[in-house]
Amino acid sequence: MERKDNNQAKAPQGAGEAARILTEFLEVAISCIIFLKGVYPHGAFERRRYMNVVVHRARHPQLRDYIHSSVNGLLPFIQKGLVERVVVIFFDNEDFPIERFVFKVNLNLSYGSKVEQSDLEFSLRSFLIKLPVSESLTKLLPRGCRWEITAYFRALPEASTSKDSELIWIPTDTKQWQQPPLITPIKSMNSEPLGVQLYLEHPSLSEPKP
Amino acid sequence: MLKYGGRFENYFSRHHVTHIICSNLPDSKIKNLRSFSGGLPVVKPTWVLESVAANKLLSWIPYQLDQLASETKKQPKLSAFGFKSGPVLDDLEESISGQAVPQSGIATLRTSCSLEANIFGKAECTEEVEECHSVSDDPFHPNAAESADQAPTYCMENHCEVELDAAVVVQSDAGYHSHISPCQDPKSDHNDCLEDHIIEESSSSKTIRPSTTGHSTLSDANFVENYFKFSRLHFIGTWRNRYRKRFLSSANGFKDMNPSRNAFATSQKTTIIHVDMDCFFVSVVIRKHSDLKDKPVAVCHSDNSRGTAEISSANYPARNHGVKAGMFIRDAKALCPQLVILPYNFDAYEEVADQFYDILHKHCNKVQAVSCDEAFIDVTDLRVEDPELFARAIRTEIHETTGCTASAGIAGSMLMARVATRIAKPDGLCYIPSEKVDDYLHELPVKALPGIGHVLEEKLKKKQINTCGQLRLISKESLQKDFGVKTGDMLWNFSRGIDNRLVGVFQESKSIGADVNWGVRFNDLNDMKDFLLKLCKEVSLRLQGCGLKGRTITLKIKKRRSDAGEPVKYMGCGDCENLSRSVTLPMATDDVDVFQRITAQLFGYFHIDARDIRGAGLQASKLESADRNMRGHEKYSIRSWLVSSPARKSSMAKGKGDQLYSDIGPPVQARGSFSGGEAYVAHRATLPALHDLDVGVIESLPPEVLSEINDLYAGELISFISKKKEKNAGNNVMDEEQSLSNPLVPPNKDFVHNVAEKIKSSEKEDEQYINKMIQGLPETSGSVTALLPETDSLMPSSLSQVDSSVLQQLPEELLADVLESLPAHRRPDFMSNDVYLDHIRDQTGAIDFLPSNNLWVGNPPRWVDNFRLSSCQLLNRIAVLYNKSSPRGQFSSVLQLIMSEYPLDDGGDDAVNCLCELMKQYIKLKIETDVEEIYTCSCLLRRLTSRSELFLQVYNCIIPHLQAAVGETYGGDLNICFIE
Repeated sequence: MERKDNNQAKAPQGAGEAARILTEFLEVAISCIIFLKGVYPHGAFERRRYMNVVVHRARHPQLRDYIHSSVNGLLPFIQKGLVERVVVIFFDNEDFPIERFVFKVNLNLSYGSKVEQSDLEFSLRSFLIKLPVSESLTKLLPRGCRWEITAYFRALPEASTSKDSELIWIPTDTKQWQQPPLITPIKSMNSEPLGVQLYLEHPSLSEPKP
Repeated sequence: MLKYGGRFENYFSRHHVTHIICSNLPDSKIKNLRSFSGGLPVVKPTWVLESVAANKLLSWIPYQLDQLASETKKQPKLSAFGFKSGPVLDDLEESISGQAVPQSGIATLRTSCSLEANIFGKAECTEEVEECHSVSDDPFHPNAAESADQAPTYCMENHCEVELDAAVVVQSDAGYHSHISPCQDPKSDHNDCLEDHIIEESSSSKTIRPSTTGHSTLSDANFVENYFKFSRLHFIGTWRNRYRKRFLSSANGFKDMNPSRNAFATSQKTTIIHVDMDCFFVSVVIRKHSDLKDKPVAVCHSDNSRGTAEISSANYPARNHGVKAGMFIRDAKALCPQLVILPYNFDAYEEVADQFYDILHKHCNKVQAVSCDEAFIDVTDLRVEDPELFARAIRTEIHETTGCTASAGIAGSMLMARVATRIAKPDGLCYIPSEKVDDYLHELPVKALPGIGHVLEEKLKKKQINTCGQLRLISKESLQKDFGVKTGDMLWNFSRGIDNRLVGVFQESKSIGADVNWGVRFNDLNDMKDFLLKLCKEVSLRLQGCGLKGRTITLKIKKRRSDAGEPVKYMGCGDCENLSRSVTLPMATDDVDVFQRITAQLFGYFHIDARDIRGAGLQASKLESADRNMRGHEKYSIRSWLVSSPARKSSMAKGKGDQLYSDIGPPVQARGSFSGGEAYVAHRATLPALHDLDVGVIESLPPEVLSEINDLYAGELISFISKKKEKNAGNNVMDEEQSLSNPLVPPNKDFVHNVAEKIKSSEKEDEQYINKMIQGLPETSGSVTALLPETDSLMPSSLSQVDSSVLQQLPEELLADVLESLPAHRRPDFMSNDVYLDHIRDQTGAIDFLPSNNLWVGNPPRWVDNFRLSSCQLLNRIAVLYNKSSPRGQFSSVLQLIMSEYPLDDGGDDAVNCLCELMKQYIKLKIETDVEEIYTCSCLLRRLTSRSELFLQVYNCIIPHLQAAVGETYGGDLNICFIE
């Protein structure tokens, strides 16, 4: 395990760069999801351009900071290939999840060659294009709902990795669904060294209502 | 009759009575025939008479009561009500046995004969009394030996007949022929009868067939054509066109005068006369029959008095009886039994309408045609002193010329003129001076105002507004608030008799189309396809007739609602869902082929069961004048692009070919082809030398371009081409000779064997190897490359000339192109070649069919070859589609292409298994990395299920597997569901 970790720590340049691109992308994509779901008034966002598409970024410093810091806090773990899924969860007053946007990440750590943003841009951009048109697939959120970013790890990270980034991560209070959820894929990409799949999870019809 | 063994029964008994004889039945008995007749045949008296005359028992079938026969034929019941062949067959057996029993038992017949009374003499009187008499079955003479002999034979015959008919019915039912009955060829009476027999279990017989032509899309090849030939609405619709052609010049003339009219309007009071022929469609038909003038007459396309044909127009005597347009004939007959029903006479309508307009145009040049029998004329400018006198003169002239009467209304506006005509009808004249407008309007129901239909009327009724007087009490603002600005404004104005419309402009049609929603029944998609083609032809003809082209094409489909039964109206459309799709083209068109292609595409979007279609319409809108885009634009029209596209393709293909064979092909040729392409694109820039031109490209150019280029070369081009052609012919012969001795050609198996093994030995080397080999044989390579650009068809006459291994090395896209451009009849040639290839593969073992769990390995994946060689057409088709799909390798893009295919033919279980296996492996392949693709595939599959049983099976087979896979990888279920 130790040896493996070392290997990962010295992740080849290509994968490291891909991880950086991915975090940047996740930050933008999560902002877009928040905008799309209308949790905050539309005025709380401003139009920006990213990868040549119009995206929305939070205006409020705290909101922007939350998204930025949580995603960037993931970077070291992504680089090590520990992060399996990054999920944006919308839940109601009773912490019962209503809808989950899941980014399933697959990073090829052994990829050696150099990676440029432009290589991945084409694929990643398609997410940002597909997202706004996927609104019909999503559920209408009830009033007073909240959201959070949750990361699912393949294995628990070693305590020693990085103290700063660990501090921002807290256990989630959100409840789990009892039944396997219904999955609606939105977009998938699979190019070297990065594969990302975005899909929606909704409670299954047989899910007991809280 | 008694003499022949017949007997008359006073009281009906199922045991004694075998036939019911009568010449007419009251409606109530017809409606409840079974309880009345107990399932026995109801026959006309002539049957008895003629049987006696023939001295043998005639089949009663042709003598069945007309009323019943038409009743049973009213609807194609047998099949239309579901496809339950089981019950039908049961009925059939019943009826056969029912028929057979009384006849096979001759003994019973004889005994019963002796008991039965003769009512021969009374047979006639039954006619008058309209009463039914129960009569025994058998007019045989029981004692006559010959007739006794005849009896069994006849019974046999009859029996056979029944069986024969049964066979017919069973057959047609098996092919689920929904409409065997009235539409089918009346060649065998018994055929029809038997159906009736089965359905009603009562007797059936020959009837006077209303017409021998078929009545549905199923039976009549020229259905669309005939449909419109006999359609009144079509007549009215197309009449406008006729009118435009005939009177356009004069109409234009006064249009030019229009601007000055406004000035007039202020200074002078306008006078408008509305002239409307009285029940045009009837009076034209009866104008020559003075005896019918005062009798109730209606016009209808069918004179079957018990049918559900709708009355299109009725004259005033008929209207007094309550007969109205749109009524079913049988209802009208119930209201007015003496109603005379006449068919349309379209020629006469045309003639009278022309006369009518001739008269109007003669008297006044400001005529606005509303319909073929209705027009406004503006006589303001004529400064007529007495408009009533003027109108009277017109009316008299119309009456004298056409023999039909017209009513006229005179008022200050179009609205009031129309109201006046309403009052004047029939055959009258009414003048509403402006000061009396209010009086007339006060009691006028709102419905009478133009622009107020059912919906608006209902809305007004809810507000307790029934007359214009009540409407006038409401302020303009509140009307506008309730009904919208325009409608509110209209209501306010109209209720006050204000109508600012000008008599004038002939409205150009906004769209041209053809709709058929009667008699539309299909068995399968092919029927529908044929029907659409005819519709396309019709619309195209109409467009051409008007000199117009349409840019937007709309296809409308009437789809039977799932819960709707067979419509009340015979062959009508019933309760339908109206679906419509349209597409706008970049170029206006009136071309049948384009229409056909687009309608096929549009139809594909509906995903409809052909059997549910009850009507279809095709329309072209955004009309443009054909003349405008005829000249000057011809070069850029779709057609010229289509024609020239092969040329472009060829140069493209050559471009690729050149890249491929850059080291082997003769460079001169390559350059030639490129400069040829340039010449096509920008020949004005610099002219390439004549000998640099590629003849193949030039020859496939459209003739006008060719002649243009020829002009640029001062006419030398044509002669150059012909020279070159001769040379080419020589070359070709040489090529062929070479190919015979060419070691690369399949006949030399050993060599191919070698090649194949080399290919196997190393994939990277093989191209070089072949290249080398080809370089070593420059002549051969010449033949391969030359084959592409040369001759106008671009393709070799046979693929045997082409080395198949070279073909194999071509990139997939290019190969697909090459295969596509193969003329259809040569394809099998290639196929056999292909099989041959595989044969070689098998022999050498170089490329084995890999175990079936590797279907997606390779490029193209293994399954493409498997499918291509499969005996199932659908699989073959899928393999072909794979090569067309893009992005290549995504099964969803293949499915997408299948979507646009129609019809989808079903394969067997093998096909289902193959597809399931393919999908399973695909899921396995993609589930980790591309769940989106899997999802897209399953959604597409789901949509395909509605069109093909096969895909339904595949879908339902795949889903559990898919859900398991998704659950394993993603811990959830994919958001899709089962289909029952």
